[in-house]
Formats: sequence, C-alpha cells, structure tokens
Amino acid sequence: MADPQVVSTLTAGLFLLVVVGWLARIENWRVVSVGDGAGGGTAGDGATGEQTGVGGETAKPSGLVRWLTTVDHKDIGLLYGVYSVAIFGWAGGAALLMRLELLDPEMSLFSASFYNSLLTSHGIAMLILFGTPILAAFSNYLVPLLIDADDMAFPRINAIAFWLLPPSAVLVFAGFLPLEGVIPAQTAWTMYTPLSEGVGAGTQGNVGVDLMLLGLHLSGVSVTMGAINFIATIVAERGDAVTWANLDIFSWTVLTQSGLILFAFPLLGSAIVMLLLDRNFGTTFFTVGGGDPILWQHLFWFWGHPEVYILILPAMGIVSYLLPRFSGRKLFGFKFVVYSTLAIGVLSFGVWAHHMFATGIDPRLRASFMTVSLAIAVPTAVKTFNWITTMWNGRLRLRTPMLFSVGFVSNVVIGGVTGVFLASIPVDLVLHDTYYVVGHFHYFLMGGTVFAVFAGIYYWFPLYTGRWYQERLGVVHFWLTMAGVNVTFFAMVLLGYGGMPRRYASYLPQFATLHQVATVGAVLLTVGQLVWLFNVVQSYLEGPAVESGDPWNLERDDLYTMEWAWFRRRRGSALTDGGTVSGDDSQRETKEASGDDSQRETKEASTATSERRQ
Amino acid sequence: MATETDEHGEDHHLPAVEDWPRGFGEASWWPFVTALGAAGIYVGAALFLMGRGDTDIVPSIAGPAVTVGSVAAFLVGLYGWLYHAFVANFWERGADEHGANKLRWGMIAFLGSEVATFSAGFTYFFFIRSNPGAWPPGNLPHLLSSLVLANTGILIVSSLTLHKAHGEIRKGKMGRFKAWLAVTLLLGIAFVGGQVLEYYEFIVESGFTLTDGVFASAFYGLTGLHGLHVSMGAVLLGIVFVRSLRGQYSAERHVSVTTASMYWHFVDAIWILLVVVLYVGAVV
Repeated sequence: MADPQVVSTLTAGLFLLVVVGWLARIENWRVVSVGDGAGGGTAGDGATGEQTGVGGETAKPSGLVRWLTTVDHKDIGLLYGVYSVAIFGWAGGAALLMRLELLDPEMSLFSASFYNSLLTSHGIAMLILFGTPILAAFSNYLVPLLIDADDMAFPRINAIAFWLLPPSAVLVFAGFLPLEGVIPAQTAWTMYTPLSEGVGAGTQGNVGVDLMLLGLHLSGVSVTMGAINFIATIVAERGDAVTWANLDIFSWTVLTQSGLILFAFPLLGSAIVMLLLDRNFGTTFFTVGGGDPILWQHLFWFWGHPEVYILILPAMGIVSYLLPRFSGRKLFGFKFVVYSTLAIGVLSFGVWAHHMFATGIDPRLRASFMTVSLAIAVPTAVKTFNWITTMWNGRLRLRTPMLFSVGFVSNVVIGGVTGVFLASIPVDLVLHDTYYVVGHFHYFLMGGTVFAVFAGIYYWFPLYTGRWYQERLGVVHFWLTMAGVNVTFFAMVLLGYGGMPRRYASYLPQFATLHQVATVGAVLLTVGQLVWLFNVVQSYLEGPAVESGDPWNLERDDLYTMEWAWFRRRRGSALTDGGTVSGDDSQRETKEASGDDSQRETKEASTATSERRQ
Repeated sequence: MATETDEHGEDHHLPAVEDWPRGFGEASWWPFVTALGAAGIYVGAALFLMGRGDTDIVPSIAGPAVTVGSVAAFLVGLYGWLYHAFVANFWERGADEHGANKLRWGMIAFLGSEVATFSAGFTYFFFIRSNPGAWPPGNLPHLLSSLVLANTGILIVSSLTLHKAHGEIRKGKMGRFKAWLAVTLLLGIAFVGGQVLEYYEFIVESGFTLTDGVFASAFYGLTGLHGLHVSMGAVLLGIVFVRSLRGQYSAERHVSVTTASMYWHFVDAIWILLVVVLYVGAVV
C-alpha cells in the first residue's frame, strides 16, 4: 500500500495546491487584467488591471482567484479564447511537422507511427478542442451583450463547462505525455472501427486510445452544457427590446449551432462510451457480427457532419455581422440569411452517409443522401450571394476584419464548390479518401471558420482590450494567411485529382512537387500566425487606447450595435463592469462629466435598438 | 438568478451574490470545484483502465481512489452551487416568470440532448434486430416476466402521482403535494429496486451477463443507461421533497417542481419505449 510512488505523487500534489493557494493571494497579477481593458478607459490607459471600485465594493475578486472563480460571461469568453488559441498552436504545430515530413516521399524526420499520432491529434484538436471552444469564446462574450441579457442564463454552468475543457485536453493528449506504457492514439480523428476496437496486431489496443476517448467524452459534456446554456439564454433571457424579429444575425447562428450540438454531441458521447465498453468490457456494439463496424460510421457521422456546420454556422454569423459594417450597408436579405441558417441546421442531420458512399451501403440509401447533400448547397449559396450583394455598391473599408471577411467568402466559395462534387456519388467514388477531400474541408475550416475567427478577433479587439491592434501587421497577417491557405489547400485538391490517398505518411515520388508546394503554403501560414500572435500580445500590452465609444465609426452609417453601446457605457465608468451600487453612481457621474459621450447617449439608445438586426 | 435592488430602485442582476468567496457578485468557487470533481471522475476512470489487467501502468488502487475523491469533490461543488443558486434565501430571491422560463427552457434543451444520448443505444438494437446475421441471438433470457410488467406499472403510476402532486401545489395544497410527492419518490425507489432484482436474476440465476453476446450489449447498455436516469430522477425528486419539507415552494413558486417533473415524465416515456422496443421487440 505505502507505495513510494503514490506517496511522492500525493506529496507533489499537495505541494502544488499550496503553490496555487499562495499564487492566488497575489493581487494585481499582470496577466489577469486582460478583460479590464475598457475599465480604465476614461483615463485613456487601456489595460491597467484596475480591480477595486469605489468604497472597496467589487463584483470580482482580484488576482488569479478572479479567473478561477469567475461566472461572468465575458471573463469566461476570454478564458475560452486563451484556451482555444493554445490548442490551435499545438494542433497547428502538429500540422506543420506533418507537412515538413511530407517534403520528401520517404520517412525522414520521424516514424510513420508518430506521423499517425500527429495526424490523429491534429484532427481531434482542431475540430473538437479548438473549433467549438473558439466559437464559444465569441458567443460567450457577445451574445449576452447583443441580446441585452444580464449574463448567460446559467452563469455557474457556463463556468463549469469551461473548466471541464483543460482536463479533457490533457486526457486526449495523454499519450504524448512521458507516461510509460501509454502510446498516443493513431486512429485518425474518425476513430473508425474495427481499427479503434484495438483488435489485430497494431498498437490501437493501447490505453492511450481509451484516454483519448474519455477526454473526448468529457469535452462533449462540456460542449453540450454550453449549448443548453445558449438556448436558454437566447430564448428566455433577451432584453425587452430584443424580439425574434430584431435578433441579430450572430445570435441566430449561435442558436442554430446550439440546436445542432444538442442532438449531435450527446449521440457521439454515447457512441464513445459504447466503443469504450467494446474495448474494455467485452460488449459487441461495433464488433463484426455484432452491431457491425459500419454502425460506428453511422453514429460518428451523425455527429460528424453536423459538427462541421457547428463549426461554420457561427463563423458565417460573424461574417454576416461584419460585412455590412465595413460596406456601409445593411445586410442584404437579412431574413433569408436567417432562413438559410435554419435550413442548413435542419438539413445537416440528413447528409451524414455521404461520408460513407464507398462503404457498400444500400444504393437507395446512398441516392437519398446524395440528394440532401446536394440540396444543402442551396441555402449555402443563398448566404454567399447575400454577402456579395451586401458589398455590392457599398462603401468598402478594407480594414483587417473586412479583409478576413472577404477572404472568408472567397475561400468558402472554393470549399463549397469542391464539396458539391463530393456530394455526387460517382465523383465521390473516385475522389474518396484522397487529398481532394482534405483540401475541400480545409478550405471550409481553415479558410472559413478560422478566417471568421480572425475577423472577429480583430473587430472586437477594442471591445475586450480597450486598445487598438496594429493595422499594418493585421494586413500582413491576412495576406500571409490568405496566400498560405490557397497554396496549401489548392495543392491538396490537385494532389487528390492525381490520386494521392489521404493519411499516408509516405508517398510515390510523382506527388513530390505538389506536396512541396503544400508545405511551402504551410510555412507561410505558420509565419502569418506568428505575426498575429505578436500583434495581439504586443497590442494588448502597449497598443494605443481606444478614444471613443464607437471605434469603427459605425454611427455614420447608422450601423451602431449593442455591444459597442455597452462598451461606451463601460468607458464612461471608471469601474470594471459588474454593476455594484456605487459603481453605477460613478458611471452616471462620469457620463455627465464627459460631454462628448453624453451627447451621443440619446442617439445611441435609438440606433442600438433599431439597428440591432444587422 | 439573484437580484439586488439598490437605493435607486434599479435592478442589478448579479449572478452569484451568495456564493463563496463572499462579498462578490460574479465570483464563485463552486463551478471550479464541480468541474474539477467531474474531470477527476474521468481521470479516475482513465487510471482504472491504466491499472487493470496485464498493462498495470499505475497501481490498481489509483483509479478507484481518484474516482472516490473526485466524486466527493463533485458532490461538494454541486451542493454548493445548487444551494447558493436556488435554495439559500429562497423566499427573498426574485422569482419572476422570466427566471422560471429560463429554467424550463434549460430543462427542455437538456431533455433534447437526452434523446440523442439514448438514440445511439436504440440504433444499435435496431441494427442487430434487423441483421439476419446477428439475430436471433443464441441465448435470450426470460424477458417478459411479471417483474417487468410490475415495474412498468410502478413507473407509469409514479408519473400519475407526480402529476397529481403538481396539480395540488398549483392549488396551493402543500400537505397533499408533499404526500403525493412522497408516494412518487417511493414508487421511483421501488422501480430501481425492481431493476436491481431483475439484474440479480439475470446475472446470478440465469447467467446472462454483459458479455453474453449481441443482445446483452443492447440490454445492459439501454437498461443501465435508463436505470442511471431513474436514479438521478429519484435524487432530483428527493431534493425537491426535502426542500418542500423545509417549507419551500408555494402555488406561485415551484419551478424546480416543474422541471423535476418534466425530467421524471421523460424518463418514464423512455421506459415505455424501451419496454416496447427492447423487451417486447426482442421476443416478438
């Protein structure tokens, strides 16, 4: 019993707890002031980390404790953001390593099994541990502001959902930790049975796969809790002036996304538990002669295809929200953008078997799934045309958020058109499991979702830091990323036409040139993201403070919105938000004192309510 | 959730005014503790898998030990959260239609996610049931026993008694509400007891275990999942019952009675589907 290992582990754990406790007592921790940028806005000093209000009353404790205990949707949004960026770095690094390995046809940098591990963790990290949480960062921060709610419907559940994520990531990546006897999973992100059942001679029977499955299940619980929270918030917590008729486009997409999550993620959770039972307790859910390996594919893609819409819908929401603001026009066909969002949400549950055309399922089943898959191009095209028409004859301002939004539209068109071909059974049978598929969905996810994320990060940078990013670096970041995406992923589309199978660690020499092109693109992407990281960190620390409550000059075009109205109110107050009694008094006084802002107050109230729908 | 009204009569909704650490409106340790506990349960499961069989990467005691500790932390966090969010200062906290609406929508959304949770298992059963290669399985236990009929009756009656209790509280008859709620709770516990008895008969007497082939996976997967849900429903009803004994709730203020009822009726409906599909569907 008195195993020295156990004793030392417990001692180390205790020591860590003491350290955390000590750290928690340190006040005015530099890193914790990130959310308070606008708090010290009146003095013009963005991120001062001012925590205490008048008379010592505060809504939040200071120091590390604030971040561990916060139930404020804005703080939790920032936590989601930081967490997701860290995962993005790790998963992007894995992709870069793979691209470097693919510079030449042979295995030269590392082993094929390590390549498989990188491949698996890249997919899982990007789709599940990065994609969904980074969008949750935006929706957490913005949705309550946009719908005039006090906070999320369930602030504590919101915090629980976030704090489940870091441990889930540790479990998913546990195979990479120096644990003796634990091998990283090599199942690819689709975890197809029977490979993932651990049968046969490979290493898939290793407990590393079980750890990954447990981590995925935990992250699914977190995502589902978040979705329930968003549905309750958007349905029941809207302010009096926010109706279904004037609900903003971003909240519509978040609501639809949450609906998809609600039915997709718990099903994956159950499938993962079934797989774990199969692996460890002798059940027959996905065994040959039992439920059949094909059942896994059905269940997986019933989650997996809605998942890509879970990742793209709020991204489309961000772009639909931003394009009008840099075009000087309202969103063209607002209602139809909402209808197409809902249509995509419904149709997305009827297309999953188009991932399985090559598995030998019933041809009648294939034909119906092909029909629905082709049909989903219609609402997607409705959106695209509405975006283009919004910009048509607009007074375009090509600031960084707008560049990323336009880049988004461009990349999504290529991603969408390549997808229409894949939805067609005869074409899919040729292109299935080639790099064409990889190129197609990366156009959507990297060229689409990630572009929208960057657009949002730049656009709302003044909102959550109170400072400006560097425009020039933003433009450099955009062009490097735009070039990188198209060089990398168009080369993959061509590789797929040539017949290069996906997932392979080595390849025939005839593919070498296009692989090298793709790797050059990946390097461009990497450099671009380093520029972004520098820009964001440097600007957060030293960027010029935002001088007005309307940093994007939206009032000129009557496109001012709720979140900036909140920003202006907060700038008027020397306090962090949270609305303590004394805090609001001083807020009112400050507003009266600063004539500039108070003049706008009345206009702000009217524009914010009438123009919210954009 | 909580509402503070300042001297100007304006409402400032701070979500966590009661929570530890005290003195703040937007800080609470409970979510962190709850999440740590919940994640610890997963870590415990991971350690258990690492410590079993011939792999033996960690001592076999590690998994159960971490799990037990984590469950404790999880329950402490849950208790603190629910107590401070809903129970403490019950009569002082604001209770408008708005807040009740949000809780009802939260429960509706949760039940939607539960549909998806159950449908994976049902899909598996449809797969094996319609696959001539897998069905009929060699050894089916005696499914349609009087025990299943009695248990089904118990659960349906418990839904009726809960509905009755809900009606009584709407009329403000607290005594009758508590009585019908107590009956519901006892019926729920009786159902769980019946399930345990059925498992005992199957596993010990008939030798029908989890690893007994394609039907065993469906049977134990679905009834096990459902049994967990009934147990959780009984815990929810138990919390509601204890709160009602402590003098909480009234004809106007009983949103947790409503949400717990929604959950209970849902679990009841799943059971009826389960009996028709799994018990009857396997034999017919």
